Amino acid sequence: MARKKSDRRRQLERAAMYPLDWLEERSGLVGGVRYFLFRKVPGDTNWFHTLGSATLTAFLVQLVTGVILAMYYKPDPKSAHASIDHITHEVTLGWLVRGMHKWGASVFIILMFMHMGRVFLFGAYKYPRELNWIIGVLLLATGLFEGLTGYLLPFDQTAYWATVVAININGTAPFVGPFLASLLRGGAEIGPDTLARFYSLHMLLIPGALLGLITLHLYLVIRLGVTSPPWSSEAAGSGRPPEPPPAQAGLVRPRPRAAVKGRPTE
Amino acid sequence: MSALDDRRRRFTQYKEDVKKRGKPFYPYAMFHDTVMSLVVVCVIFLLAVVWRYGWFGDALGPLNGPKADPGTTSFVPRPDWYFYFLFYLLRIFKWPESVILATVGIPTILLIILLALPFVDLRTERRLGRRPVAVVAAVLVVISMGVLTYKGATAKEAIAAEVKAAVPSWAKKEGFAGNKEALAGANLFAVSACTNCHTYLGTGSSNLGAPDLSAEGAKGKGIQFQISHLKCPSCVNSGSPMPAFADLGQDNLKKLATFLEASKGGK
Ligand code: HEC
Ligand code: HEM
Repeated sequence: MARKKSDRRRQLERAAMYPLDWLEERSGLVGGVRYFLFRKVPGDTNWFHTLGSATLTAFLVQLVTGVILAMYYKPDPKSAHASIDHITHEVTLGWLVRGMHKWGASVFIILMFMHMGRVFLFGAYKYPRELNWIIGVLLLATGLFEGLTGYLLPFDQTAYWATVVAININGTAPFVGPFLASLLRGGAEIGPDTLARFYSLHMLLIPGALLGLITLHLYLVIRLGVTSPPWSSEAAGSGRPPEPPPAQAGLVRPRPRAAVKGRPTE
Repeated sequence: MSALDDRRRRFTQYKEDVKKRGKPFYPYAMFHDTVMSLVVVCVIFLLAVVWRYGWFGDALGPLNGPKADPGTTSFVPRPDWYFYFLFYLLRIFKWPESVILATVGIPTILLIILLALPFVDLRTERRLGRRPVAVVAAVLVVISMGVLTYKGATAKEAIAAEVKAAVPSWAKKEGFAGNKEALAGANLFAVSACTNCHTYLGTGSSNLGAPDLSAEGAKGKGIQFQISHLKCPSCVNSGSPMPAFADLGQDNLKKLATFLEASKGGK
């Protein structure tokens, strides 16, 4: 930054920064975001590490499309099926919102499993990340439960009868089973209350729980950092220094990591 | 040095290494994350489009199934695909001895294994070549979940029309051809989805560990028992996962019960 700035430019910069400074002085949020963005991550972080944020993206897609669906959906057994038809065939782009919510759910679940697989293979559940693994397992169970409750909402034959059986299966659990089953049903039989219950669980309780768990999860990710790939020759924590970049003849494709290292960080 | 000290030392080393040789999250890792997120949104969008226009021969299924009808006569209790592996387990286990194992036991065991993992595997080793048990376990889990999911997806459902075609032969084998009430019950049985869970003289598919009913009448439980069981299975056989069929109405239940009691196992 050897170039001299003109007075005018400095003035402009100060004016532009003012709102940020104002916010920082009163909340410290700017510093927080700055820490989040510029914190160091292991130099060998790679595409495998994107599975977590990909899961988060799928979850956000569910939130947005879900909120829109809730504006048109009617959670009572008489009109639920018709309101789904209405969304699919009449509301402008309703099919897109519903389709993205329906298939986004599957993508979310698949990504959760893939992310868990990467964490397992990287041994990233080991000290000191045990707690974050546990939060992850809870996220997986809660996510599956979210899928289960959403499945009933279109109120078609398959959904209805699968849910009858699913609730009955809950009922077979020792001790808590019958209680759980009647809690889900909202009575001794599947009836109008069941749909309302599933709807409330699906759009309030479970997403709330997921949001809370995800917040905790990400807090721990930022606090503890992510694990280097186990095969990396310079894995952080192994105490091995990075290999010197190989001498580059013009024909060899430059290794991206070496290129990154060469660039000055601002 | 204790094992815990060793783990702590390694983590301190990790922090140091990252500080010294790491790179800032923005823009490097964030770039990868952004690209991947865009891919995810595009995939979801494409799935929605394929589903909407029924491309690839309706590969993603219909837009909307028929409306739920509690008094239905035919249904396929099929969960969403990520429960297929559990769903298929239900076909393997038999009521009542082991079905609880499939419904409650196996999910609970899986959950406990997952939760316990970081407390059981205490070594700091992370390289795959040095974690043979973990790798073999992972491969086995992936294969068995894959196979069970595939089996669940392709499991044969009993088709009402086919089951119905078998009724005359049942009547002959079980010897209730002359009993009009039982015959009517058999026809109801064929179209009321009973055969999605129960087998009867080789027809139907076994599910949830439901018993074969070819010889139900030989148990001597009586018509009254059958009616109350159909009305509310779990009231009679505690913990039963069979759905209640009270919506069929007293007349139909009576016919079904007569049919069941007339089923003595055939020849
Ligand atoms: C979703 C699966 C399912 C469906 C559908 C189903 N059942 Fe069952 N059924 C079961 C299970 C599981 C049991 C064992 C537990 C019990 O006895 O209730 C059972 C038990 C029975 C029994 C034996 C009861 C006893 O104690 O001897 C009879 C009889 C019976 N079912 C008849 C029927 C009839 C008739 C239908 C159709 C109207 C039907 N079931 C539909 C799952 C099902
Ligand atoms: C809603 C679902 C989830 C979201 C949004 C999520 C998000 C994330 C993100 C963004 C990261 C940063 C590193 C990366 O992307 O890989 C991460 C790391 C991690 N996740 Fe998840 N995750 C979810 C589910 C799970 C599940 C099901 C598990 C395991 C059971 C899990 C265990 C972990 C662990 C242990 C880490 C630390 C990894 C490391 O240190 O390398 N997460 N998660």
